[in-house]
Amino acid sequence: MKLRASQEKILEYTSGKMGISAVPGSGKTWTLSKLAADIIRTNILNDGQEILIVTLVNSAVDNFYQRIGSFVRQYDLIPNFGYRVRTLHGLAHDIVRERPSLVGLDERFQIIDEREADSIREEVSRTWLHNHPQFFTEYLDPDLADSKRDQVLRDDIPDLVQSIALSFIRYAKDRELTPEVIRQRLERCPIPLPLAEIGLQLYVDYQRALNYRGAVDFDDLIRLALMALKVDHAYLERLQERWPYILEDEAQDSSQLQEKILKKLVGKEGNWVRVGDPNQAIYETFTTANPRFLIEFLKEEDVQAHDLPESGRSTLSIIDLANTLVEWTQTDHPLVAARDALKGPPFIEPTAKDDPQPNPPDQPDGIYLVARKFSPQEEIRAVADSLARYLPENPTATVAVLVPRNTRGFELANELADRGIPYEDGLLRSSRLTRTSAGALGDLLDYLSDPQSSRKLARVFEVWSGLDRAGGDERKLSQVISELIRKNAHVEDYLWPGPNRNWLEELEVSGMDQTILDKLIEFRRLVRRWQAAALLPVDQIVLTVAQDILTTPAELAISHKLALLLQEAGRANPSWRLAELTQELNVIARNERRFLGFSQEESGFNPDQFQGKAVIGTIHKAKGLEWDRVYLMSVNNYDFPSGIKGDRYLSEKWFFKGKINLEAEALAQIDALQAESEFAWYEEGHATDEARLNYIKERLRLFYVGITRAKKELIITWNTGRAGRTEYELLEAQPFRALINYWDNKMQKGTE
Amino acid sequence: MFSNNQAVSLNIEQLNLVTNPLNAKIFLEGAAGTGKTTAAVERMLYLMAEGIPGNTILLLLPQRTLAGPYTTALERPGVMAGGMVSILTMNGLAQRMVDLFWPVVASMAGFEHPEQPPVFLTLETAQYYMAHLVSPLLEEGRFESVTIERNRLFSQILDNLNKAAVVGFPYSGVSDRLRAAWIGESSQFHVYDDVQECANIFRDFCLKHNLLDFSLQVEVFWKYLWEMDLCRSYLTQTYRHLIFDNVEEDTPFAHEIVREWLPELETVLIVNDWMAGYRRFLGADPDSAIRLKGLCSQQVIFTKNLVMTEPIQVLEESLGRILLSRAEANELPDRIRESVEMYTALPTLPQNMGRRLRDTLIFDQHHFYPEMLDWVVDRITDLIFVDRVSPSEIVVLAPYLSDALRFSLIDRFQTRQIPVKSYRPSRALREEPAMRCLLTLSALAYPEWRIIPVKEDVAYALFQAIEGLDLVRAQLLSEIVYRFRDGSPVLLSFEQIRSDMQSRITYRVGERYEILRGWLAQRREPPDEFDHFLSRLFGEVLSQPGFGFFQDYIAGQVAANLIESIRKFRWVAGGILTEEGIPLGYEYIQMVEQGVIAAQYISSWQDNERDAVLVAPAFTFLMSNRPVDVQFWLDAGSQGWAERLNQPLTHPYVLSQGWPEGKPWTDLDEVRAGQEILYSLALGLLHRSRRRIYLGLSELGEQGFEARGPLLQALQRVLLSIDKGNAPGSG
Repeated sequence: MKLRASQEKILEYTSGKMGISAVPGSGKTWTLSKLAADIIRTNILNDGQEILIVTLVNSAVDNFYQRIGSFVRQYDLIPNFGYRVRTLHGLAHDIVRERPSLVGLDERFQIIDEREADSIREEVSRTWLHNHPQFFTEYLDPDLADSKRDQVLRDDIPDLVQSIALSFIRYAKDRELTPEVIRQRLERCPIPLPLAEIGLQLYVDYQRALNYRGAVDFDDLIRLALMALKVDHAYLERLQERWPYILEDEAQDSSQLQEKILKKLVGKEGNWVRVGDPNQAIYETFTTANPRFLIEFLKEEDVQAHDLPESGRSTLSIIDLANTLVEWTQTDHPLVAARDALKGPPFIEPTAKDDPQPNPPDQPDGIYLVARKFSPQEEIRAVADSLARYLPENPTATVAVLVPRNTRGFELANELADRGIPYEDGLLRSSRLTRTSAGALGDLLDYLSDPQSSRKLARVFEVWSGLDRAGGDERKLSQVISELIRKNAHVEDYLWPGPNRNWLEELEVSGMDQTILDKLIEFRRLVRRWQAAALLPVDQIVLTVAQDILTTPAELAISHKLALLLQEAGRANPSWRLAELTQELNVIARNERRFLGFSQEESGFNPDQFQGKAVIGTIHKAKGLEWDRVYLMSVNNYDFPSGIKGDRYLSEKWFFKGKINLEAEALAQIDALQAESEFAWYEEGHATDEARLNYIKERLRLFYVGITRAKKELIITWNTGRAGRTEYELLEAQPFRALINYWDNKMQKGTE
Repeated sequence: MFSNNQAVSLNIEQLNLVTNPLNAKIFLEGAAGTGKTTAAVERMLYLMAEGIPGNTILLLLPQRTLAGPYTTALERPGVMAGGMVSILTMNGLAQRMVDLFWPVVASMAGFEHPEQPPVFLTLETAQYYMAHLVSPLLEEGRFESVTIERNRLFSQILDNLNKAAVVGFPYSGVSDRLRAAWIGESSQFHVYDDVQECANIFRDFCLKHNLLDFSLQVEVFWKYLWEMDLCRSYLTQTYRHLIFDNVEEDTPFAHEIVREWLPELETVLIVNDWMAGYRRFLGADPDSAIRLKGLCSQQVIFTKNLVMTEPIQVLEESLGRILLSRAEANELPDRIRESVEMYTALPTLPQNMGRRLRDTLIFDQHHFYPEMLDWVVDRITDLIFVDRVSPSEIVVLAPYLSDALRFSLIDRFQTRQIPVKSYRPSRALREEPAMRCLLTLSALAYPEWRIIPVKEDVAYALFQAIEGLDLVRAQLLSEIVYRFRDGSPVLLSFEQIRSDMQSRITYRVGERYEILRGWLAQRREPPDEFDHFLSRLFGEVLSQPGFGFFQDYIAGQVAANLIESIRKFRWVAGGILTEEGIPLGYEYIQMVEQGVIAAQYISSWQDNERDAVLVAPAFTFLMSNRPVDVQFWLDAGSQGWAERLNQPLTHPYVLSQGWPEGKPWTDLDEVRAGQEILYSLALGLLHRSRRRIYLGLSELGEQGFEARGPLLQALQRVLLSIDKGNAPGSG
């Protein structure tokens, strides 16, 4: 295959440090995969050595494996040897798993997932608040009416304490601060830092709860991995020997700990390739992730710096808009301090004519920058109308509607469901596979915990008969049977007919169709088997019933893992019975959970599978993906603020004095604890301003990511926000306004 | 071919050994599968046939399960003339002696009440007391920087005491040793101090209450009784002949006693397996075993393998070489390196070996874990029903056997009507439905304990207890009749409920429910001991016709085990609980809920299944010390094949005899330990394999992580070199 000059230069790499700045759609996964395969082909690796590829999200892990595997096969080599692809969490898990006692872990240590961590934080926050009910009153706006005040204390403060717990603990772990260290620093600190005190108490209780479970959370995993590398030099050397090459993808989102871990693994003389796009750094809020790490790396003396500026993804018009956003930000953004949010050069360049990935033919009329003022509901309707027109006419096109926040996505999904417009909401949730597997099992366990419920039994029938997947007559038949089961209030007369009543016989006498009766008999046989299994430990229930209701190997593998998870949950909570465990399973089914392992099945989202449907997702989740047509919604001055008068900020609470951002202030107090110089001492309000600036910059990049998801057509809309929740109507976002102006001008010139 | 019934087919090496003079002191060594135990069994029979009374022979083993070949031989007609051979572990011997000589040793050993009898703790009851003593310290915030489940924390502290005892250093030195070897974060030092403090508290408590955990039994015997003429001459006069098999799996304690005992004995046969030492985490020390060699007058080595076919032998040699050729392997102990040199000649690849090896090492790659399990069960089905392999000649092994894996396999085998056994079933006693039923009914029978079972438990208990009651009606019934009054649980009578509900539940069930309820409600004054109560509940009601455990043998075994567990608990803790005014049953149920006790498994529930496929962790199979035709290695890509036990509160290597004081435990030691484990595990398995190895491979392991561990990598190299036509592992 023909290489671009920029790719050729990168693939000439043999050793040392290299940094690559890549624009959206420039094929960085392809290039990095090829580079890995080329290194393997040179036969430079010894036995047991591997190229380590570190990327950001699970879905990318699979992508890399497939790409590298296909290159390796082209070279007639055996795939899966000589390289290892990991997210930072996966890598940290590998490191800690190999030497758990080095960092005080038992070999059977558990990793609790986000959901369990959430509930622990909720618990410790509640306890803290219970003991300190008045703490926040001094932060409240003194002008608040008493009733408002009570309402805030009741409704808003508990959530806030939980968010403080979340960010404080995460931030402290990111900075390798144990509760003990924070305690010591607080004792020595000459000025009071009340928010740090709260944070510490929450942190202490949280860690204690983890210890009790013999578990660590995802942030601990990373912290402990670094600790392991620090305390045992010989172990570090062994890992350095094992991974002589490290290729890092999405390096713009590298956190401080990631940077430290990889730096250690690379060593002084090692080989490190970092690829990223500083303009797509969108995970920085309340973390130590920062595009600065990549930008500075690119400037280092011993680093070979390259660009990958060509992209064949989008039409020239879309490329033009994206580049315009960068230029406008750099020169015209009303907030001067935000002007470095987006970098360029490199700007996006189209590919050459003979390139294997040519840009789609330009389609300026495929750009709709809708300046019209919509209410939130109107915006949803407008997008739905547009989809209703577009989808039937373009059955093979890929379409996405991208929103800044999950809730907005669900609102749209409801509207589309009501109107029968086909959509896919997988990007809003955890993977479909986990969801459907866990969902089906959850329905079944839910029934077993309440065996008299005809409604739940009917639902199990639907799951078992594949109602959700079936079509036509089969679907109708299932619906009929499900309805029959649901209406039979005395479940026992069906499942275990006694001397008095036999429901099936009655149906037969009434002349019920034989196919229906046969289905009911078959289903009854299974339900009886499941009921007998209900006495088993939960993992064994899951394994038993999974065989009957799940079919594909992937589903069964997930169910095996779910069995292990539920067993852990059961052991951690000995008082839980089937009902509580079912709840737990439902949470897995409903929510986003970071499921370590099963990366391929977990989140390998392929837009091409959903042709003719509207894929709804957040812009964050859409990273790395592309669609023929993209809608960007809610581009207003709340979700994309610019630091000008009238802008409002999610984290600055209206009920606090000076609309202070308490989370940011709490984190600043951690920084103050570490400060050596008195000039770095804590000053209230400063962190709020800083957080605001960072947020403005990150949202500019998010806007940029949204635009660059589109291949051929792009539609951007905004709304005024919900009346009542905010006192003022929202406006369109400044950068959006700038693009509208630019585009109108350009079009006018074109028609003139 | 090797078989248990070997009396007439000894080879010349074995024959020579067996017929040694009656005063010979022999140290026999060799790799697994060279017929050492067979020879030792015959030697024992030979001694008896030559007129040595059986009751003067002591057969010493590191664990009871290894006694199989000896007891089988002793059961042969005519053998037992001349009295019983004593088959003991050194710990069993210690316990017997402490029991026998208690009055003379108790005060000497520091027990506060020498006038009262000793109480020997089981692992379970020791854990109970440890939990009792340590939990308050945990509440104070001790052990904060370690991440560990509580019950494992308790057991690791006990482990430290045990290691100190069997290695022979004072228990008060545990912390110092662990500290000296630690190179990580300094916060771990506090942890070791906490560990020491808990060990001290526990020991003091034991001395105060005449409780003897495993470590105290060993210490009292070794330090006091063995030094006492009374005891020592009792032993040396009782036993004049010693056979000590699998000496490499025993502890320095056992080795040291035998070392001192040796001059007094008339006949000695010590059997040592190279490369083993699988019980290291329990204090086994192959290096200290080797020291007995020089004290014996004869050293014999068996070199001829009697188990492996040619291709397996080639596989064993190739894999051995590949593992040894790795850089880190230079660090393997001399013991292993030398033994390897001794019995392996450089292979010249016989004709067709590549193909024959492919027929011997069989594998298929799968993506997902359950697919691999299906493949395994399919292959075994073929082996049994097509190739007519006996199920007992098939073992399914994994480095770590989760409950889910165990259950998945057993379930699949049962569906295909393939007999299967496992050394323990896939759930702990406390997870047995029958046990939950019994404990729930107990809580209802003793409302004054104020243990309030959740509704679901009551429904399940009734569902199990009453024959003919299905789960739907059980839930219905429990919703109606189960109530709380003044903080205590109550069961209403069937008469009291509405007639339409009675009819739904059926009158037949109603009658049985009334019998059960009436039985639970009748009080005896004074109340029964809890174990007596349960045995009456089971015998008088639940096992009767019309009730759920009628002719249910598994439930019968569960009940028997539970009653036994409670009885032991009563012997050990009954007195103290009575003093504190806590009902024994109440405390027992609490401890079960917390997982502190009754976590043990039903013993031998499937042992009667002799001709069955065995599902076991690889280590367990190795410790059963028998060869089979076919082995399945599941999770061949798992890291677990080359991993030592990682326990943050203890350390099997650092707390061993050979560990130089003050030497830090480094990454190199870690690698070396892993290497040694992989080596002895893989080769130990091959030595016990006659015909075939099947590898269960799935790209994603049980937890969904990729599996490409060192065993898989080494096997990959064996295969690659075969394909290239080289002698595997050479060059």
